[in-house]
Amino acid sequence: MGNDDRIRALEALDPGQGRPGYWERLRGQILERAAFELARRREAARQSVTAVLSGWSRSLIPVAAAAAVVAAIMIATEAGQDRSPAPGLVFEDVLGGGLDESAFQAALQSDANANAAAFLAFVEGTP
Amino acid sequence: MRQRSDAELVAQARCGDRESFGELVRRYQRPAYSVALSVTGKHQDAEDAVQEAFMVALQRLDDCRNPDRFAGWLLAIVRNRSRNLIRRENLRSGDEIPASASTRLPGPDRMADISALRGRLKEALNTLPELQREIVLLHDLEGWKHDEISERIGIPSGTVRSHLHFARKALRARLAEWKDHA
Repeated sequence: MGNDDRIRALEALDPGQGRPGYWERLRGQILERAAFELARRREAARQSVTAVLSGWSRSLIPVAAAAAVVAAIMIATEAGQDRSPAPGLVFEDVLGGGLDESAFQAALQSDANANAAAFLAFVEGTP
Repeated sequence: MRQRSDAELVAQARCGDRESFGELVRRYQRPAYSVALSVTGKHQDAEDAVQEAFMVALQRLDDCRNPDRFAGWLLAIVRNRSRNLIRRENLRSGDEIPASASTRLPGPDRMADISALRGRLKEALNTLPELQREIVLLHDLEGWKHDEISERIGIPSGTVRSHLHFARKALRARLAEWKDHA
């Protein structure tokens, strides 16, 4: 008995022999029986996707809120640092300020200008 | 179109994809039947075992740790279900289910030939150990290669060859006897 003969003989055990569509019918029966379990699995998969998304949102919202608070604090801190007092009029500014020469001369000759503040008051023309 | 791997089909079937599970059934219903027949020796029992095994496999799909080896895992389930079925059968009072329940038959003569041959083959196969029956059916009926059988039933390829050799030898002897009597 050769290989071909043996395979031909064993084909007699194939229930599809003489029964067209046997395997397709069997597959259909299996799928019919599996319908409930497949539906259950689809539902479980759908719920797990929703659970993942809601899990994300549960952790994302507090993190986002915390980040917003931190950002607000940082902005407020930086704004506070920018609000340092404006420097007053210094002597160098006065020198570069385009005052006329006669005012300088008068100021330098005046005895009243013993200190910088008095000098500035004099130059700016304030009493 | 690229054929999807077993692992891909299993992953989809786990999410309830009917088409993927259907493809797994299409791919493995025949080898599953061969394994079931090698255990039960009866068409109807083998068919029932295949259906049950696919149901069990679907329910336990998450336990399939290596989806690339789905076939081996499935065939182990088929083997177990088939043995359970035999045990149940043995417990029942011997109401024999007819070997053929087909409604569309090819003709009385041809059917008689097939039926006679089927009966003889089953007899001959039943003289073999279960593992040899399974191997000879997977190889000679389903056309699986030695390596495929080895991988899917989890025994070395050399052992598959050896079992196949002894199974064929025994079958040849049995069928020759039958031919001589005929």
